[in-house]
Amino acid sequence: MLRAEIGLFLVMAFIAYFYFSAEKKHSLLHETFSALLVAVLIHLVLDGITVYTVNHLDTVPRLFNGIVHRLFISSMVLVIFLFYQYISILVAEETGKPRKLDLAGRIFLVGGILGSLLLPMEYTQTPIGNYSSGPYMLMCYAAVAFYLVLCACLMLENWQNIDKKKKSVIGAALLIEFTITSLQGYQHAWLVSCIGITLMTLSFYLTLENPDILRAELTEQKMSMLYLKSQVNPHFLYNTLDTIRIQAQLDGDKKVADLLMQLVDFFRLSVKVDRPIVDLDEEMELLEAYMELMCYRYPELECEYDIDPELGSAQVPNFILQPIVENSLLHGLKNKGYRGKVSIRAARTRDGDLEVCVRDTGSGFAEVRKSAIDRMLQNYAKEPPKLTGNSIGILNVQKRIKLLCGKKYGLWYTENPEGGVTAHILLPLEEEMQWKN
Amino acid sequence: MEKLRVLLVDDEIMIREGFKRLFDWEGHGCQVVGEAADGMEALTKMDDLNPDIAIMDINIPIMNGLKVIQLSRIKHPDTAFVIVSGYDDFSYCREALRLQITDYILKPVNYEEFGTCIDNLKIALFQRKAPTQTNVPEERTITGITRYLQEHLAEDISLSVLAEEFHLSSQYISQLFKSEIGVNFLAYLTNIRMEKAKKLLLSTSLSISEVSERSGYGDYRVFTKVFKKSEGITPSQYRRDFWESGEKNL
Repeated sequence: MLRAEIGLFLVMAFIAYFYFSAEKKHSLLHETFSALLVAVLIHLVLDGITVYTVNHLDTVPRLFNGIVHRLFISSMVLVIFLFYQYISILVAEETGKPRKLDLAGRIFLVGGILGSLLLPMEYTQTPIGNYSSGPYMLMCYAAVAFYLVLCACLMLENWQNIDKKKKSVIGAALLIEFTITSLQGYQHAWLVSCIGITLMTLSFYLTLENPDILRAELTEQKMSMLYLKSQVNPHFLYNTLDTIRIQAQLDGDKKVADLLMQLVDFFRLSVKVDRPIVDLDEEMELLEAYMELMCYRYPELECEYDIDPELGSAQVPNFILQPIVENSLLHGLKNKGYRGKVSIRAARTRDGDLEVCVRDTGSGFAEVRKSAIDRMLQNYAKEPPKLTGNSIGILNVQKRIKLLCGKKYGLWYTENPEGGVTAHILLPLEEEMQWKN
Repeated sequence: MEKLRVLLVDDEIMIREGFKRLFDWEGHGCQVVGEAADGMEALTKMDDLNPDIAIMDINIPIMNGLKVIQLSRIKHPDTAFVIVSGYDDFSYCREALRLQITDYILKPVNYEEFGTCIDNLKIALFQRKAPTQTNVPEERTITGITRYLQEHLAEDISLSVLAEEFHLSSQYISQLFKSEIGVNFLAYLTNIRMEKAKKLLLSTSLSISEVSERSGYGDYRVFTKVFKKSEGITPSQYRRDFWESGEKNL
């Protein structure tokens, strides 16, 4: 019987090791999950100890047996409380509503622990194994029932506002716990409660708390902080630029006025990051403003567009083309003194996806660099969220495409036979897509 | 046609200067008669000058542009208001629609393209003056023609079609548009087609190509291009922005 407890403990210890060594955002949700993992580990240890002591009633001192049993039941109440707390924070994050049921949850926690420490207990011996019983035992059933009801209330009240994936995870976890507790209640000697708790923790770990997701969250947060830092009141910026533009035009300098107009457009469009997904047309507008400015700075730079007009309203992740083109300019064409051409082509592939190609006539990759870039783009998920260096732009594009569109899509580079490289971006092509993750 | 009298309201002198000197008012049959730098001044100037057109920044001192419009709307029902704003935000557009604003343009203003906006204003002023009842015996020719256009805007329509329908020469009709409304025939047709398209985009769930067809554009790519040029955004963006800002406001 003890084998199951040891096995489950090892599984949870393994998961805890992964979880604690992963870099993650500091948030109440993750801290609650960390606390939950610790509590589950302690609970499993106590479970293992009690399974042994309850079956050796004559050799183990009665007082010791009583203490570990009471601790075991209180740890179970605590674990179930933490599950409830985790789910309530998850729901609150999703809906933005305050957590109203928390007070009830905490009062019950105190009552439950006091009950399991103080209420009378006894032991029942059966041919298939012994178990502890008595009023104190009821506390863990009461805790499961009480917190499951609280969670169910949370779910029902916010049904419309919870993401589908989270809904199914919470639902599955509640169902598992309910089933296992019913089995435990049906046959006390089976001592299966630890399985339910482990499975419940596992289901959250695998879906919402695994290192991949944590890392993506962290990158997103760092990027947005970086963005906020650069956002020195954009209205001030482009209003001032606009004033300068008008002065230039009043002074008869049409060229400067036009350039400033492009710059204002570029800022205005790039500040619009509130939507993660935009029309291809909007993305092209930003790119054109950028290219026009670059072509003015480097007159021997040429730019060519070939966009299938039917694809104008295709939905694409925002801000993906400009970093790719910037990369082509800085790593390909710069080495040729900014002499050359960038061609941007968007077309429907045979499989009905959208492919955008950015082809340059630059110096191409050095042998080592090509394989380094390929490797980086292939292992995008394992790349640490670097915030400096040359490749952050394209790595970030790759990560966002994978995150928003799915693993099938993404970015890769090929070398052109006549020199230079082509960046290929493969995106799904659906007019009205459900972009909620 | 009489010159249209224009009031400019913006707290930045440079923007007013830009409007005054970089746009060919004369060529578009207009004349700037006054300027104001804040909401209070704007209200006073509205009453003193009673302009045909007021070009209004939203974010101005003392009282914002929308409030000025709201307060002077009753006293000046015939004035056409144009909002110029740096706020790239559709929620202002909704408020503007409620105040019956004729046009809405975003900063930075491209003075060369501002002519289209003036054309739209002239059309709006003309439509406001036009009698609403139909089949008046001594109806003016231009009213008949514009009504015909409104009813047939989904069809392939041109000056020669109108010429045949009304037994007049194309040149005469073309001049009629110039002298009665102040804009050329094509600008007028594009304007009413865009108005129709916008109405369809917001009030129906028709696909973009259906909207395009019902607004008189057989090729929806042409439609998208024209729409983008006139509204600054694509038809699908227009529809989505409207609903998204609606959800935010709820």
